[in-house]
Amino acid sequence: MANFIPAGDGGHSGWRAAVQKLGGNLAGMVIPNIGAFIAWGLLTALFIPTGWTPNEQLSSMVGPMIVNLLPILIGYTGGRLVHGQRGAVIASVATVGVIVGTSIPMFLGAMIIGPLAAWVLKKIDGVLDPITPAGFEMLIGNFSLGISGLLMAILGYLGIGPVVNSLSDILGAGVKALTDTGLLPLASLLVEPAKVLFLNNAINHGVLGPLGVIDAEATGKSLMFMIETNPGPGLGILLAFWLAGPKVLRGSAPGAIIIHFLGGIHEIYFPYVLLRPLVILGAIAGGATGVAVFAATGVGLVATPSPGSIFAYLAVTPPGNHFGVLLGILLSAAVSFVVSFFILKASKAGDDDLEAAKAKAKAMKTGAAE
Amino acid sequence: MATISGANVKHVVVACEAGMGSSVMVAKMLAKQLKDAGITVSHTPVNQLAGEPHDVVLCHRGLGSRAKQAVPDSVVIMFDMFLGDLKIAKLVSDLKEGAEIVGD
Repeated sequence: MANFIPAGDGGHSGWRAAVQKLGGNLAGMVIPNIGAFIAWGLLTALFIPTGWTPNEQLSSMVGPMIVNLLPILIGYTGGRLVHGQRGAVIASVATVGVIVGTSIPMFLGAMIIGPLAAWVLKKIDGVLDPITPAGFEMLIGNFSLGISGLLMAILGYLGIGPVVNSLSDILGAGVKALTDTGLLPLASLLVEPAKVLFLNNAINHGVLGPLGVIDAEATGKSLMFMIETNPGPGLGILLAFWLAGPKVLRGSAPGAIIIHFLGGIHEIYFPYVLLRPLVILGAIAGGATGVAVFAATGVGLVATPSPGSIFAYLAVTPPGNHFGVLLGILLSAAVSFVVSFFILKASKAGDDDLEAAKAKAKAMKTGAAE
Repeated sequence: MATISGANVKHVVVACEAGMGSSVMVAKMLAKQLKDAGITVSHTPVNQLAGEPHDVVLCHRGLGSRAKQAVPDSVVIMFDMFLGDLKIAKLVSDLKEGAEIVGD
């Protein structure tokens, strides 16, 4: 089967595994908390002064949730990944130090201090556990966590908070410059290829999401949430594979379209691109088109649409933004479809390999060959 | 190269990046096919594979090297397509027939 798949061999490419691993850790802190982000996003969309039904009392929850709750949840989850429940607790304590040191939502800071605090406690436990006399486990356990948690919170307040704050300022200014100069669609040049290498979660939840939340806190919505999550380019690619792809792949394309566009599992189209790498041009063109339309119509989303399904999109689209959002998705799908369609048509010659692979596959199914 | 006899497999783990999206989908489809054989299927983030041995780990080729790093002694099967993949079909038939399963 090895020659059936030219790209994406799992055996080597160590850098990719390393980047994936880092990104996976970032995403692993965010993804379990997406529900809380959506609660916050909907609360914002409903009750802030420019929302569906403005309400001053209920909108007072918006600030504390974004500034306190969400970073603490991220820190908590990061700590739990490193050192279980104790790690989660010390990470939450330490995250508070980072939060009060600044005025912006401290996602990046929480992603650093949470796992770090848990790791420190893990080392401390490693030393103390073997020498703790019987009966003193709870006493020593509680105070080792309490004292080291206090120290980590101070470290977060004095050290990590200010550093991350200035880093966020730089990143934010960079994004603003890209937006102001109309160059934001160029982001698709990086995002779309990285996405199909399974860096999708790392990019969206590790980088774009935190930037988007800062944006959304100020304006009630953000375009950052839409750059990676737009289901349009993937839809276009799958449609192209359905109509013009190698015969062996056509059968599964309609099912993949449903899972991708309605279910929001984008991973399902990545293998199609890996089989015909040139098709990535369709994804890039489609993605850039989508970002350009979103920017031109001035739309955004109130929270990360996760998973990237059309239903999740509609749920986090603020009032008055539906036209631009749907137009952007539609046009990005159309552009991606047209480009991918012609690439697939032009590479028809390559079908021989796939026919051979299919014959081999048939033989394998009947057990005649391995 | 890790191997295991299909007859000894009680449990299959499907791994993906977050352990909440594609792996859940594949695990669900696989569980349906393996139910009669008495084999259970679960899903997990690839980062959390390490720590305990698994009979068979199934993941996409793009995550294969990380899965192998995490559980070097377990049988890791890498597939290419989330729908209609022949490696998955072969794994199912091998499990049902108790044939020898060789990791990638």
